[in-house]
Amino acid sequence: MKVNLVWHTNVSAVKDYLNKKGLKVDYSELEDHTFYMFEIEDVSRVTTHQLIRHRMASYDQESQRFSAASRESFIIPSSILSKEEAHKVYNDALRFCVDTFEKLISLGVPKEDARYIMPHAIKTKLVMTVNAKNLKHIADLRTAPQAQWEIRELISTMRDLAIRATPEIWPSTK
Amino acid sequence: MKTSVLWATPDPEKTIALAMRRCYSTKTLSELVSELESKGPDYWKHLIGLAIRDKSFDVIEHFCILVLLEDLDEKEIFSIILKNPFIRFTYLKPKVYLASLNARTLIEMIHQDECKELALSIIKSLKDAGIGNLFISVVFGGMLIEG
Repeated sequence: MKVNLVWHTNVSAVKDYLNKKGLKVDYSELEDHTFYMFEIEDVSRVTTHQLIRHRMASYDQESQRFSAASRESFIIPSSILSKEEAHKVYNDALRFCVDTFEKLISLGVPKEDARYIMPHAIKTKLVMTVNAKNLKHIADLRTAPQAQWEIRELISTMRDLAIRATPEIWPSTK
Repeated sequence: MKTSVLWATPDPEKTIALAMRRCYSTKTLSELVSELESKGPDYWKHLIGLAIRDKSFDVIEHFCILVLLEDLDEKEIFSIILKNPFIRFTYLKPKVYLASLNARTLIEMIHQDECKELALSIIKSLKDAGIGNLFISVVFGGMLIEG
């Protein structure tokens, strides 16, 4: 999993500008107005299906209509990786899916239809823009102990990057 | 009404082009950034034109804008909010508000009678601040000439 913060609102400069104009504003009032753009790579589609349920954000994701599937591009959960037989079953199923995908392409089926056979474990890439208020809401839900491990790891990383970039907006976690 | 841009997405045209290429490429983001930088602004403009033509407004959403609005009536804000759920206002003092929106909302607002004045005011302040000129010329060029 790779997560980077591409840019973010310079929230302290915004507050300074407003203060100079005699407009008092608290950092908590700037949550709606503080934006982050993230690049996210090498997460599974299992995770992005969960991520895009949070609708108050903007997403653009690598399309399977246009990009080829790679045999190396799958997430393997540790619960599977740690069990030899389970890992073999999982790999066999992935190999079958990729073989079928390639066979369908060779039979002239367009990628947009051949992709129906691809599993959710496939790695994907996307960009996401979200404001601080919504990122906090997502973090509350998705970093909880009952959240699924991959999205918990993703959102924890995003939250940490946001805290580092704009600590004023995240006072309780400074 | 007085509108001042306090912050906007850096390099908005390149950001929109990046979002668009993200959908159709297997490259990593850093490879895409290199590709976009080597091809230059004419290519970004071309991609923005395609997005507008195909109504792929999702990529436009990454161009975010934060403005200070002065001398704006509560009644006007109410009618803007009713039609545009994704614009966020914060009251600062009577007739003075912070507002944040993305460029997709800006495009939608310019087609609404109640919101057109505010949309044009935001576009003018972006132009005055030298932000998103390429985007503005591709998306709003003809409309601004029409007045």
